[in-house]
Amino acid sequence: MKEKYKSSKWQEVINWAQKRSLFMLHYCTGCGAIELPPTMTSRYDMSRFGIGPAATPRQADILLITGYLSTKTLKRVVYTYEQMQDPKFVMGFGSCTINGGMYWDSYNTIKQLDKYLPVDLYIAGCMPRPEAILEGFLDLKQKIEAGEAEGYKKYKEEYEYYKTNQEKVLGEVKRRQ
Amino acid sequence: MRSENELITLINDKLNPLEVNILREQNMSVKLKKDELVSGLNYLKARGYSHLATISCVDWIEENEFELVYHLFSYEDKINISVKTRIDRDKSKFVTIKNLWAVAQYYERDIHDFFGIEFEGNDDMEELILENWNDIPPMRKDFKTRDYVNEKFEWRDYDGQK
Repeated sequence: MKEKYKSSKWQEVINWAQKRSLFMLHYCTGCGAIELPPTMTSRYDMSRFGIGPAATPRQADILLITGYLSTKTLKRVVYTYEQMQDPKFVMGFGSCTINGGMYWDSYNTIKQLDKYLPVDLYIAGCMPRPEAILEGFLDLKQKIEAGEAEGYKKYKEEYEYYKTNQEKVLGEVKRRQ
Repeated sequence: MRSENELITLINDKLNPLEVNILREQNMSVKLKKDELVSGLNYLKARGYSHLATISCVDWIEENEFELVYHLFSYEDKINISVKTRIDRDKSKFVTIKNLWAVAQYYERDIHDFFGIEFEGNDDMEELILENWNDIPPMRKDFKTRDYVNEKFEWRDYDGQK
């Protein structure tokens, strides 16, 4: 199935169109949210790359996790992610999502985001500046065009793996029937 | 408007405190016996200390005691008073003050979350901040954060180095 899509010309057209219209869900979890207003507004202006903010998960393509995630927030993020429609992309932002960052020994923040959600791209830094975020967006666009940003498919294929990890830190999760 | 020194005389006369201190300008602390705490707070509230900023808790593990700190403020005197009392760590139970300040209900729930102290008379003790917590309360000094993290989360593996 995957190979077939990759080889088809039609999928290439879809990918090309997808990367040109991306909407980012403005869901701010940690301190990284402070870098987003300058990225969105006139100083850095991410709309010149065809990326705009979206208000609700059902209309968004990109879920940007901005900074540390407490286990309590993770639950809401998982709900949010599962509400989004395909294709959807997760970007981990800041060192907290990569290895815990400065919260590496905190009892209530998760250490590796990719154990709980399929991360397509990480932006390292504490904090990454708006330039780095835009660089990340451009990389994501390239990945989408090349057909490599397939985290949402991975989430379906390895559903049990993600749910088991989520259950370990959350205590309870909702599974699809 | 009263000064700090006037308050010391007043508190020493009326409240039978264990200790009264001026910490710095506009900041005082009063230590009370645990049986006299509620009447003490009642007295201060009637004297203008009507704002309960928060309730905090300290775990004195070596003395086997919890210290509850009630932070009061008076808009007339412009002075903060921290009213402190100590309770036994093994029998971590105290009385609620939600009849004095309704907001105390939430502060007490918060302390119940993080220190496991029960407040008699406050029935709503559902988890406020934490969710599905299944270990000893995390702000107790005998809670081993590192062990908990090692058990619950995995460290990222950088080429075999942990």
